[in-house]
Amino acid sequence: MIWEVFRQEKKGDYHKHCGNVHAPDREMALMFAEIQHARRMHANSLWVVPQAEIAEVDAEEASFGGTTDKAFRWAMTYNDIDASFAQEVADSEKEQEKAAKTREAQI
Amino acid sequence: MTGPISGPDELSKREQKALESLLFRLADDEFVLAERYTEWQIYAPTLESDLALANIAQDEFGHARLWYDLLGELGYTEPDLIWERPPEQWQHSTLVELSFPDGGWADTIVRGYLYDTAEQLRLEALADSSYLPLADRIEKVLLEERYHRQHAGNWLERLASGEGHDRVVAAVERLFPHAMSLFAPGPHEDNITEFGFRSESLQELRRAWLDTVIPTLDSLSVPAPEPAEVVRPDATGRDGSHTDDWFELYDAFTHTYTELENPTPVRLRGEGA
Repeated sequence: MIWEVFRQEKKGDYHKHCGNVHAPDREMALMFAEIQHARRMHANSLWVVPQAEIAEVDAEEASFGGTTDKAFRWAMTYNDIDASFAQEVADSEKEQEKAAKTREAQI
Repeated sequence: MTGPISGPDELSKREQKALESLLFRLADDEFVLAERYTEWQIYAPTLESDLALANIAQDEFGHARLWYDLLGELGYTEPDLIWERPPEQWQHSTLVELSFPDGGWADTIVRGYLYDTAEQLRLEALADSSYLPLADRIEKVLLEERYHRQHAGNWLERLASGEGHDRVVAAVERLFPHAMSLFAPGPHEDNITEFGFRSESLQELRRAWLDTVIPTLDSLSVPAPEPAEVVRPDATGRDGSHTDDWFELYDAFTHTYTELENPTPVRLRGEGA
C-alpha cells in the first residue's frame, strides 16, 4: 500500500507533498515517512495519506483557467475616472448635514 | 561512590581501568551491531525498511564514535581502538556479532528489539554517571534510541502476528542466550558501580530487561526461555571470547585498512577533517 507524504517545515506553513512510502498500515507509514523526510532535516509535522484516498482531476478532463476571454472580470475600466461629476453629491450631503444641525438646535 | 569527575586528569588508575572497561563495552556493542546492520544495504525486504535500517546503523556508528572519543581522551588513537585492535580484545556482546541467517529479517528485528531494550536501560543507568563527560552525552543518545525501539517494536509486533511468527520464534530461540551476555560482567564490574560510573549493577539491569522482554514476547505468543535454564554459549564477548562469526566480520571490516597498508583513515567532521 502506498502512502503519500506531506511535510510541514514550520508551524503555520502548508504541508507540502514530498514523496511517498510503501507501508502496510498507518503506523508503519508514519514511521517510514519520519525516517525518510524528517529524521535528518527540520520538520514540524508530517501527514501520511493513503494514495487511494486522494481524489484528482487533471488538465485532460477539465478546462482549467477557462477557454473564453473574460478580461471583463478585471474591472479596470473604472480606474481612470474624472471624479468632478460627484460635486452635486457632495453639495447635497452638506445641505443635509446643515439641516440636521438646525433641527438639533431647535430641540 | 566518589564525587563527580569532570575529565581524564582527575581519574585515579583504578578508576580509569574501570571506566575504560565500561566504555569499551558500550562502544564495541554499538560499532559491531552497526557493522552487521549495514549488511542489509540493498538487500532489506523493501526500500523503506532498507532506509530505516541504514538510518539506525548510522545512529549506532555515531554513538560508537561518542564513546570511542571518550576513550580517545584517555590516550587511545583510532587505530588502537578499531583498525589495529586484535579481535580477541573486543568486548561487545556475542548478540551483536552473530551473522544473519539467509533472509533473516526476523533475526534482525528480534536482535534489534532485545538489544535496544537493554540499551535504553543501560543508558538510563549512565545518565547520572560520576564521569561527567559520559553523563553529558546520554540525553542525546537516548533521544535517538527511541526511534530504534519504535522501529524494532513495530516490526516485531507485525512479524509475530503474521506469517513471520515461526521465524520470530526461531530467532528468539537462537538469540536469547546470546542476549544474556549483554549483562555478563567484565573484570572491573564491581568498580564500575563502586565509582558511580553506572548507577545500577548488571544484575539489576538484567532483571529490568527480563521484566520488559518476557511479557512482550508472551503477549505475542512467542515462547520466552526460562532465564535460569538458558544454556549460555561458551563465549560471552565481554571477556574477549567470541564466536567464529566475529572473527570473519573483523577480517571483513579491517580488510580495506589492511589492504591499503594501514593508512590514516579519513575522518568526516571533527578535527583534521
